Amino acid sequence: MYDLIIIGAGPAGLSAAVYAVRKKLKTLVLSQDIGGQIVKAHSVDNYLGIPGVLGVELMEKFHDHTNKLQVEIKDGTEIKKIEKLGDKGFRIIAGKEDLETRALVIATGKKYRQLDVPGGREFEGKGVTYCATCDAPLYKNKKVAVIGGGDAGQDTADQLAKYASKVYIINIADKLTGENHSVQEKLWQDEKIEIINTCFPLEVKGDKFVKGVVYSCNGQASQQTLEVDGVFVEMGSVPASDLVKDLVNLNDNGEIIIDAKTNMTSRPGIFAAGDVTDVPYKQMVVAAGEGAKAALSACKYLKTNQ
Amino acid sequence: MIKVYSTPTCAYCVTLKKFLKEKNIEFEDVDVSQSETALQEMIDQSGQMGVPVVNIDGQIVMGFNRHKIMELLNIKE
Repeated sequence: MYDLIIIGAGPAGLSAAVYAVRKKLKTLVLSQDIGGQIVKAHSVDNYLGIPGVLGVELMEKFHDHTNKLQVEIKDGTEIKKIEKLGDKGFRIIAGKEDLETRALVIATGKKYRQLDVPGGREFEGKGVTYCATCDAPLYKNKKVAVIGGGDAGQDTADQLAKYASKVYIINIADKLTGENHSVQEKLWQDEKIEIINTCFPLEVKGDKFVKGVVYSCNGQASQQTLEVDGVFVEMGSVPASDLVKDLVNLNDNGEIIIDAKTNMTSRPGIFAAGDVTDVPYKQMVVAAGEGAKAALSACKYLKTNQ
Repeated sequence: MIKVYSTPTCAYCVTLKKFLKEKNIEFEDVDVSQSETALQEMIDQSGQMGVPVVNIDGQIVMGFNRHKIMELLNIKE
């Protein structure tokens, strides 16, 4: 039996792991991937000490650090179920493994809001994608559409402009939103980029692969089609709290409610940290701090509940 | 023969390759952002266009699926 299983390997989860291992807790980190949302980040400019670092580089630094401390990590693992195990702790089914732990830290972060229109799911991986940093280079000299005109959508369009021959931004709002004015200015000036405001997607069309996206504007019934090979979805994100929704209390936004001092959830023994919680600022440096808090609180909890 | 189709900026690709190296598995790393032929080869084999894709002796694994890869390579934790 583990003392602590941490679910999620973004800044919150890996920071929790560093603290837990240094407290000599028998610790395991489980995750689908390593790095969380940051690996999608093109460039990170607000993490103290390493300005301008690429998301994927920062993830490697985190990974190197946890390796040095010999943290046991199982990534690429699908977590199927978490349940209470009498008074002893919790049981986790992950991949083909059946695991037991005395305490848990949930640090699963956020997941992308999916494009829920006809063809949206069907063409996932076949032209519909959620990761510009991964897939942008595959669309060299092709036409693509970005769904979403917020910060993430703008960043995606900016990355795509390096490869694609044409980039459309389908934006539900009447102008680009967010505070990243330097990127917005770049997008306005780039002839490759066309911003289509107050419109929303209705359908993704194609055969084996995406061939186009149908949209409608200003609430009108008339529909238009863009011929594109790729659809990059950037419609924001939702907390990845499904796994524990029957175990702990969530707020109306689906965020795990935690005690601000201890990071304990409504269920003793389960702690949570980072973007999946109701912590007010969804920032990497905040998540890392929250992860440390959760691990230290879990350590204290384990000592007093021997 | 193991081939990994990847792009340099894709984090799942980085973790996947790191994992194979840790297990001392030799593989050919194909950067599909540099070659349209390689990209087409990946699309033909996997029927999709997301990276990473691993070809293990003709068996195709999409994404970093640790269990599937370990099973096909017959390796233990």
